[in-house]
Amino acid sequence: MNPTEASSALLNGSSSELLARVKHISSGDLASAAYKIDHEGFYPVGIMQTLGQAGAFGAHLDRNGRQFGVAIDAMREIARNCGSTGFLSWCHDVCGLYMEQSGNPALMGALLDEHVCANTLGGTALSNPMKTFAGIEKMLLRAKRVAGGYRVSGALPWVSHIGQGQYCGAIAGVYLDDGSTSHEIMFLLRCDDEVVLRQCPEFSGMEGTSTWGIRLDDYFVGEDALIADPARPFIARIRAAFVLLQTGWALGVTQGSIESMLEVEPLLGHVNKFLDDRPDEMQAELDDLSQRIQTLALTPYDGSVDYVISVLDARAQSAELSLRASQSGLLHQGARGYMMNTAPQRRIREAHFVAIVTPAIKHLRWEMARLSKQVLPA
Amino acid sequence: MTQAQDWKQFICRACGLIYDERLGDPDSGIAAGTRFVDIPDDWVCPLCGVEKADFEPYEAVSVMPATGGVPLKLTRAVGVVIVGAGHAGWAAAEAVRAQDALVPITLVTACLGDRYLKPELSIALRRHSSRESLVRETGLASAERLRVRLMTETFAVGLSPALHQLRTTRGNLQYTSLILAQGARPALPEVLPAHLCWRINDLDAWVGLKRQLGGTPKHIVIIGAGMVGCELADDFMTAGHQVTLLDVQKAPLATLLPEQASERLRVALEGAGVKFMGTTQVTGVTQLAQGVKSVSLVDAPALECDEVVAATGLVTDTRLAVGAQLTTDRGIVVDPMTLQTSAPDVFALGDCVSINGMPCRFIEPISKQAHAIASAIAGQLDAPYTHSAPVIRLKTHSLPVVMHGIPVSNGQWRVVSETHQELKMAQQIDGVDCCTLELG
Repeated sequence: MNPTEASSALLNGSSSELLARVKHISSGDLASAAYKIDHEGFYPVGIMQTLGQAGAFGAHLDRNGRQFGVAIDAMREIARNCGSTGFLSWCHDVCGLYMEQSGNPALMGALLDEHVCANTLGGTALSNPMKTFAGIEKMLLRAKRVAGGYRVSGALPWVSHIGQGQYCGAIAGVYLDDGSTSHEIMFLLRCDDEVVLRQCPEFSGMEGTSTWGIRLDDYFVGEDALIADPARPFIARIRAAFVLLQTGWALGVTQGSIESMLEVEPLLGHVNKFLDDRPDEMQAELDDLSQRIQTLALTPYDGSVDYVISVLDARAQSAELSLRASQSGLLHQGARGYMMNTAPQRRIREAHFVAIVTPAIKHLRWEMARLSKQVLPA
Repeated sequence: MTQAQDWKQFICRACGLIYDERLGDPDSGIAAGTRFVDIPDDWVCPLCGVEKADFEPYEAVSVMPATGGVPLKLTRAVGVVIVGAGHAGWAAAEAVRAQDALVPITLVTACLGDRYLKPELSIALRRHSSRESLVRETGLASAERLRVRLMTETFAVGLSPALHQLRTTRGNLQYTSLILAQGARPALPEVLPAHLCWRINDLDAWVGLKRQLGGTPKHIVIIGAGMVGCELADDFMTAGHQVTLLDVQKAPLATLLPEQASERLRVALEGAGVKFMGTTQVTGVTQLAQGVKSVSLVDAPALECDEVVAATGLVTDTRLAVGAQLTTDRGIVVDPMTLQTSAPDVFALGDCVSINGMPCRFIEPISKQAHAIASAIAGQLDAPYTHSAPVIRLKTHSLPVVMHGIPVSNGQWRVVSETHQELKMAQQIDGVDCCTLELG
């Protein structure tokens, strides 16, 4: 299927058909590969492409009617069987969102067509900038204005869903000659020969997310690669959408964990009934949360403080729920879920990642506290 | 020895790895005891690979415990959770504790939970009050006395009534009963920037304004001549400041008082030295040099002043309630007898509630509301709250105002008696006085 066909497949087919296609891939090829992805560092390029052609990565875009609820549901279907691929889906979704929302014709046409159906792959390097804007960290990439664009230098510790020939959205602080910063720029960083990709240490899981350290040395950013200049107003506009999309991934890990509990219910229900966080309780919480998320998904660009806090709250709750559900999933399955190639112990590590990736639970609470404080004259 | 050597630590800004000079980084060939400055420039973070330049000096910081220092005698056991540590929140805590000596109570507050009487803030400058003199009891002391788990500097961010779960910026709480005592926040019109306009709705704001005023007379522009605006104007004036009071109406408190009475109040305030500018609309506030603010007006020259105070009314922050699908109108709708919201086991009282479609932002009914809630939680349904219009007292030194009952907007006022010092008026419905008013 070519990009235009993939895009029209999304437009023509109903969202339930889209979700059915995604579910089919997720429960088939993806479920079989989940162990290899998590443990052996298998980066599921082919599966991502199949998912892209099924329309999994485009529903949230303006060109497809801004159906954030559908994009979240698609990600949930994916993460249900593989948290790593759920995370890759979020990386891919937000990268597409950056490209489209940039308003830069160089990023919105054929490049975005290819991206949406995953013929090309790209992620997001906004962990450090997001924390910088929240007042938690300092900006790691530094840009200098030059003729026709900027030169960017610096290093980022770990960026996922990239690799040689791939790309990601990145932000750099623009430094003036006197050493002060004037503003920030956001750009599409293409991982070409100029960009040094550094092997990361081994993580406890999610090894197949193609996560690398990036080093830039006078890397040139031209007009055609600019997503936003200045970056802050752009980030303010997309921030809630960025965070909200992540919930699909967390909901999927939670749903998968509940299914692991139910799987052993006929066999172990007589003893599992003594456990906390039983599947029906977890499902009730998940449904309550999902419903709220679907309501929030109707207005992803509502920039009001109230809306942003509600999104951050939903994202924090989705992480907390995935932690509890994955823990309970393993307790329900017992030793059979503790084996290396089984889903319950894998989901515990996936849920930990849901909880610590930017914005981590603690960052979400920090930000909600910051936004809740009343502003007074100094 | 470590101290004698004065070893320093440096933190990786990317991943948080700490380079300790005492330990070095032997894996990368940096011997123990290598000063950070002596590390070669091509050295990179052994964990994440960012450059040496991305490290910065590290000094451990101490963090205030979430409990504000109250020992955690109570665990996170399910019990009563109260949101807000203003007068209403503490009244609820007192009432619940009086009913039940054992039930766990957790109180979540955005501030430190110190107890003071908010109405005193609008007469505090002339009394030379301070934070210390206004605080009747610290939050810490109240928490210990009432055996309340106090979560200070904590914001309630989400509520799921079906799960009996309150989410906060310090974690989630389960409750058997939840009491919302969130108060009301200043309604700041868009043309008034929050970072330039004070709103005197809590102790911290008052302390901030007092600090800013310092010891010398200042020019203060107060926007809004409602109850709070009039009281503050009167107080700032008495304390020796120059005050300009603005309102869109032609006289102060014109939406509440009959024309004759609000006119008398205008004369009294002006007699005391307040410059009142009626029928005046503000279009913006900007910062000029050296802290001077400029208040721009429709059809009038801009006013320059040292401080701007917005007294433009209050509004209930309904984000939490709306997110939880509680019924709200101009506040959180509660049953007028039990103070229960539309959700089971969730109650509300004080400035945040709406009773029969009306918010009720007075201190007087709060302890009765708290008692009704505590009784309902304890299963005693024989102590219902009965709502009645509170007495309104305007603490303006130049002309005190007392009103009993709530006037109807199109009702006819009549003068009961009038002297140079005093004015008494009444409003009647069907020949019966429904509202009386005394000035002077």
